[in-house]
Amino acid sequence: MAYPYVSDREVRLLSKGFGDPKARRLDAYVERGGYQALRKAFGMGPDAVIDEVKASGLRGRGGAGFPAGVKWSFMPKEPTRPHYLLCNADESEPGTFKDRELIRWDPHQLIEGVLIAAYAIRAKQAYVYCRGEFFETSSVLAKALEDAYAGGYAGKDILGSGVDIDVTVHLGGGAYICGEETALMNSIEGRRGQPRVKPPFPAAVGVFGMPTTVNNVETLTAVPHIVANGGAWYRQWGTEKSTGTKLFCVSGHVNKPGNYELPLGFPLMDLIEDVCGGMRNGKALKAVIPGGSSVPILTAAECRGVNLDYESVQAAGTMLGCASVIIMDQDTHMVKQVRRMVDFYAHESCGQCTPCREGTAWMAKILRRIEDGRGTAEDLDTLLAMSRQMTGTTICVLSDSAAAPVVSSINKFKDEYMALIRRGERAGVA
Amino acid sequence: MSGVPFKNPGWAGNTGEFDLTEAQVRGDEFVGERPKAGGHPSGASSYPYMLAEKRPEAKLFEGDCQARFEKILTRYPNRQGALLPTLALAQEVRGHVSPETMDEVAALLGLAPAYVRGVATFYTMYNKRPVGRFLVQVCTNISCNLCGADDVMEAFLRYTDTEPGETSEDGLFTVIEAECLAGCGFPTCVQINSRYYENVTPADVPGIVEHLKADRAGSAG
Repeated sequence: MAYPYVSDREVRLLSKGFGDPKARRLDAYVERGGYQALRKAFGMGPDAVIDEVKASGLRGRGGAGFPAGVKWSFMPKEPTRPHYLLCNADESEPGTFKDRELIRWDPHQLIEGVLIAAYAIRAKQAYVYCRGEFFETSSVLAKALEDAYAGGYAGKDILGSGVDIDVTVHLGGGAYICGEETALMNSIEGRRGQPRVKPPFPAAVGVFGMPTTVNNVETLTAVPHIVANGGAWYRQWGTEKSTGTKLFCVSGHVNKPGNYELPLGFPLMDLIEDVCGGMRNGKALKAVIPGGSSVPILTAAECRGVNLDYESVQAAGTMLGCASVIIMDQDTHMVKQVRRMVDFYAHESCGQCTPCREGTAWMAKILRRIEDGRGTAEDLDTLLAMSRQMTGTTICVLSDSAAAPVVSSINKFKDEYMALIRRGERAGVA
Repeated sequence: MSGVPFKNPGWAGNTGEFDLTEAQVRGDEFVGERPKAGGHPSGASSYPYMLAEKRPEAKLFEGDCQARFEKILTRYPNRQGALLPTLALAQEVRGHVSPETMDEVAALLGLAPAYVRGVATFYTMYNKRPVGRFLVQVCTNISCNLCGADDVMEAFLRYTDTEPGETSEDGLFTVIEAECLAGCGFPTCVQINSRYYENVTPADVPGIVEHLKADRAGSAG
């Protein structure tokens, strides 16, 4: 079975079901050991489950890379109020397309992860917040969930354990910002999806004012494997601080784009040249965005020697984010692509904070002006000055994310900006 | 479905070592016919936001939709929590969410009309005005853009003879640019009503448009 491309260098734990239409079915999931980890978790007790996930070193796969077990341990141990688990399936970061695949090919793997996590944090209600566009994806999840209820794997007295956990699929309304965990909470509450000031942190005051944990889809799908096999087992892949496997979403100018599950620490150039079959049409590599549109761009030269784990990518001056690797070849119009990304942030700014609301809109206008040959060298200084004011000054990091590609592209591809500016000046003189 | 020859049925349509049917890829054969009344309450909030058939004058809610609305209410600790799924359901029935619809939703949930307007206008997927039978959303964000999404957008506008956001004279098509649809490995990604079309090239567009025209009954939605 081939999904649509596979590589023999992959370690397919989470992505085993990709491309296999039978994998969605409850009977097939149970047959390959599904829901055994849930049973085991109930035998271990919540704190032992948290300890096992801590021992695995599993880090949040939504972008920030915060250790999942540590996050769970922030939840109160003796619930006096309802606790909530929120699964973040609002996958919207440009370049990221893993959660949709995880849900639609192997929905029970996610449901089992959600149930184990909810049990560990002592939540009786979990929501899976799917982005609103995921109608087909959420239909698969809803059907699988219905089967899980019918089979006694969800709802009241799960597997005869006395544990009650309800899971609800919730669809968003089309807003990138709802992938930010506090905006996601507001959105579930029926509010505008605007991020909240932290503290208080979600573990203290979360959705509906109650203690809440938010985890990404990929994080939760790793949990059944860790509980079933142990934290130490999971550490056989990856590096000391970036443990386990990760789905790498590769898009752009490679021969075989797609999702590849690889051990963290995998060499970036091997991903491009070997796993993805090299550059399309034999073109030369120009640049890579390793973690989705919100992180600084690497030049081709900077990519050499970079390994794809959280620490190595950071040492290279950017971030692994959700490992959404966007590949650009020699013909890429860098200014246009940066402008398109900034247009996106301008559209998606929630409008709460002035540096973001005004900054993203003005950046988009200035970049458009430069792209159209009406820019000046001064515009680049303005963009850099704006970027400084947009970084670290707002409630969430959307504004910082918009600034990242602008700053890195001006620093690394200034020639392209200047060529457009000079061409415009010459045309003006003529 | 119509008999128009139709390439590119969805995910990885014609790339890679793809050897599955469209129904297997999309999961249609697994999901089957979705119950209009919402099925199990856990999935009642997971319904389409856009169907080809639109009934702007329909009552909020009656019959199966009322049953689904009641199921949705059971999944949230207060009625405000049900706001987004209720707006989605209203749009599914009427095709767009007019100011009057927002007010009716407010009344159903016991919320202030101004509050509901504030929320509904925040989210891009609630159409503030009527759209065509087929809402075509073309991702032009970076990953698709690198692979020619602007040309796909242009082709949809040309073959439907519309401007961005305008509805074609026959009432069939509204074409808009979309932000990243999370199909970046399969560019260009296009959402038409509730369905994803992937690996779309400008050459595929006339076929898709003809396919939709022949499918006025709306099963493609």
